[in-house]
Amino acid sequence: MKETGIGEFEEVILLLVGILDQNAYAFRISEEFESQTGRSISIGAVHSALERLSGKGFLTSEMGKPSAGRGGRRKRIYSITASGRRALTASRDFRISLWSQFPDFSVDQLSFVFN
Amino acid sequence: MKKHHHIPPRFAEKILNQIIRPDLAEEVLGDLEEKFYATLVKRSSFRARLNYWYQVLNYLRPFAIRKRSGASHSNPIVMFSHNIKIARRSILKQKMYAAIKIGGFSIGIAACLLIALFIREELSYDKHYADGDNIYRLVGAYDEPGESWKGVTLPAIIKPLLEEGFPEIEKTGRLIIFDFFASGNNQFRPVNEMQNTYEEGFVYADPETLEILEIPMVYGYQTLALSEPNTLVISQKKADKYFPGENPVGRMIILNENESNPYKIGGVMENFPSNSHLQCDFILTLTGKEFWPGEQSDWNGYVYDSYLKLRPGSNPVDLEEKLLSIRDNHIVVDYESRGDQRAGDIKEYFSFQLQPVKDIYLRSDDILDNNVPHGDLKVVWVFGAIAVFILLLACINFINLSTAKSANRAKEVGLRKVVGSYRSGLVSQFMTESLVFSFISFIIGALLAWILLPYFNLLSGKSLVFPWSAWWLVPGFISSIVITGIMAGFYPALYLSAFKPIDVLKGKLSRGSSSSKMRGGMVIFQFTTSIVLMICTFITYQQMTFILNTKIGFDKEQVVMIQGANTLGKKRAAFKNELLQLSEVMTVTQSSYFPVSGTQRNGDSFWKEGRSKLDKGVGSQIWWVDQDYIPALGMKLVSGRNFSAEMASDSSAMIINQTMAKQLGLEDPVGERITVSWGRSWNVIGMVEDFHFESMKGDVEPLCLVFGQYSGSIVSVKVNTKDMAGTLASISRLWEEFMPAQPIRYAFLDERYARMYADVERTGKVFTAFAVLAIVVACLGLFALSAFMVEQRSKEISVRKVLGASLGSIFNLLTLNFLRLVLIAMVIAMPIGWYVMRKWLEDYANRIEITWEVFAITGIAVLLIALLTISSESIKAALINPAKKLRSE
Repeated sequence: MKETGIGEFEEVILLLVGILDQNAYAFRISEEFESQTGRSISIGAVHSALERLSGKGFLTSEMGKPSAGRGGRRKRIYSITASGRRALTASRDFRISLWSQFPDFSVDQLSFVFN
Repeated sequence: MKKHHHIPPRFAEKILNQIIRPDLAEEVLGDLEEKFYATLVKRSSFRARLNYWYQVLNYLRPFAIRKRSGASHSNPIVMFSHNIKIARRSILKQKMYAAIKIGGFSIGIAACLLIALFIREELSYDKHYADGDNIYRLVGAYDEPGESWKGVTLPAIIKPLLEEGFPEIEKTGRLIIFDFFASGNNQFRPVNEMQNTYEEGFVYADPETLEILEIPMVYGYQTLALSEPNTLVISQKKADKYFPGENPVGRMIILNENESNPYKIGGVMENFPSNSHLQCDFILTLTGKEFWPGEQSDWNGYVYDSYLKLRPGSNPVDLEEKLLSIRDNHIVVDYESRGDQRAGDIKEYFSFQLQPVKDIYLRSDDILDNNVPHGDLKVVWVFGAIAVFILLLACINFINLSTAKSANRAKEVGLRKVVGSYRSGLVSQFMTESLVFSFISFIIGALLAWILLPYFNLLSGKSLVFPWSAWWLVPGFISSIVITGIMAGFYPALYLSAFKPIDVLKGKLSRGSSSSKMRGGMVIFQFTTSIVLMICTFITYQQMTFILNTKIGFDKEQVVMIQGANTLGKKRAAFKNELLQLSEVMTVTQSSYFPVSGTQRNGDSFWKEGRSKLDKGVGSQIWWVDQDYIPALGMKLVSGRNFSAEMASDSSAMIINQTMAKQLGLEDPVGERITVSWGRSWNVIGMVEDFHFESMKGDVEPLCLVFGQYSGSIVSVKVNTKDMAGTLASISRLWEEFMPAQPIRYAFLDERYARMYADVERTGKVFTAFAVLAIVVACLGLFALSAFMVEQRSKEISVRKVLGASLGSIFNLLTLNFLRLVLIAMVIAMPIGWYVMRKWLEDYANRIEITWEVFAITGIAVLLIALLTISSESIKAALINPAKKLRSE
């Protein structure tokens, strides 16, 4: 968001990479995205976001081991970098700070209404 | 388990492999396969395959697609950028030579562009008709051995004749384009205004002419605008001038203060495009027009041009054949009925021709059609040739300098070959270099042409614009860049790439001398071209001066012509008397006929009285003049006397010129009687010395002067004054008293005379411009070559100096070689120049002789220019301290 330089979609992908940990590769992330959000997404779109995030320095990646079920090909495993974590925290803090200023949720404001 | 028989679609996999970045292929294909099997578990095999395709399509993203260039190291592109880099370095390394190459090229290209624009304009005339292939002009051709002519004017009756008997002809429209009654120029005013304005560009036309020539209308209709008597069509330009912001159709116009015969505006036409052979602003209708009783139905008055529109698919050649029936049934019959013995000749030698409208501008050389503007096909060719030659000169500079500097590139070539370069690679390297030069030069050349265009327009009398927005500009430029680049780079590329590495690297290659013969030949070619152009310029100027200053048979100085004086009417005599009261005025004469272009002309056949049925008539003009005409224009009477206002019998008196007397076979014409084709006879009372009244290209033609006082539209005033402005002011003041509603319009006889030779003057200026360009380009080349020679021989010069050679001997050593080339060029160029200009002069009846001075002066001038060009470098070399050059070894 404001200063983090990531959009909402990227933020979700970044979080999913964190959640999936050792299984964070494009196919699994897209599956996870679909099951968590209920939105369908192509692997290409996820891959493109991963590439973007790596470019910003929020992700690193390395090739994993070859596995059956994918024609003996290796997968690329992504992991969050320190700056990726900072971006996520900053983004969350920013939202919380915004929420705390939101009138309907402020106790003062509620009492004012009841008066 | 059965699902294991299903595999991802191989074709989609293959496609993905083709387009995806190679380093991503493994992981992506893996992911997609995993996705495929995952889908297969939940869905049908078809859905899984479909999904696979969907995933492949979704990888068509910028980050994932294989980069075609840049990232992939394609060899030709790398080589190309390498070649460009080398070209840039070699330009920067030798700035002076590069500047000369590019400068010469740019000049050549600018000249070529300007000429190309000119030629394009000339060739574009009358190409704008939608149905142009079916529009023809009727030409009458007379082709007797020894006497042949072609003309376009025919009598009025031609129109009904053409319309009756020839189904191929869809429409016939006549046009009167020269000064005849109200065509030509008039005093013009809308009926509700008082002030007259002088306007030019009036023609008469049939309503059909608007349709045939597809004249686009702004207001009114082609078919209706001229269909009523006394209507006219005016151009948009004039409509804006007199009726700004309104539709003037229906407004009334007065011409020449003739209020009893007003004209009604029937339509407004668009302005004629500049490349139309017909240029006019006012079209007066021929509907219901009869210039004299019976004019529309008899065979007199050959004044009408006829335009025909043929039906699609008709054959003009067949029609020409059929048109002969008009000759046999009408023209010949008319001649016979008048007892004219030429009837037989007409039947034998006269024929009709149909000239396509698009040929009128450039291909009417032998056709007499007054007032139709023409271009000269010869000029187009000559200009084209000059353009090609100047470009060739520039290319030669490029070739010469490239091969001369070859020694400096020889090591580079040798080394490239040693490390494995093919000859083709080297050729393409040098070609690239020449293309780079050509490209830069074209950009500069185009800008140069653009800047120079206004001056060129002044020179050529055209109004060309640079076609920046034309669709063909970019492709045209690119192809020209490639063509000139290849032309200039071809020989150097082959020459330079042929070096044997072993010779070069051993230092065996003679330093740039092996092709010196070739270079010498090219320098000779350059200077030959320049010298020929210089000779042409020189002789054109001589001829021009000769024409403007030679004895022309009358005195053109200090004569003011007041035009449009026919509106004076009955006040002519009073105006003349008042003029004579002015102290500066010597003589005043009135006539419509003067020996300069733009005044009236006519033509008829004349015989000695009683011979008209026996002899061939003499074609002559007949001018109505008054008793002051001959003195005012300073003409000389050879025999007999001038007209006299006192003698009543002079109303049937005639003065003829010497040519007329000769053609009639009269030794002493005074006292003879002369008859004209329409029957009237005159007494010859005098003979005037021949004077030129047409362009001096031709011989003086026969002329008859007859007496007509207070007639004509021009009052010519011979003055004797040192203060022309003051005299003009007093003449103007007088005019204003007489004609307050009509502004004075005057011209000087000598200026009008000079205008007749504007084309000679123009040719002279154009030759000058191009001769200067050619010599500049040639000298640039010579300068660079001499600088290079000096550079090559600097050690030799230093050694000679050390051993005691004098400055003079070194200077001779360096310059003689080049001067020899220039001398050879002179020997070749002079006969060519002499021959070309003799051909050109043959067009002129009065011409100069080509004398040896022309060649002497040109020769000395060229030698001096060449010497100056070479000597700066040579002197510099001769003055240098030998220690400086020799120290390093």
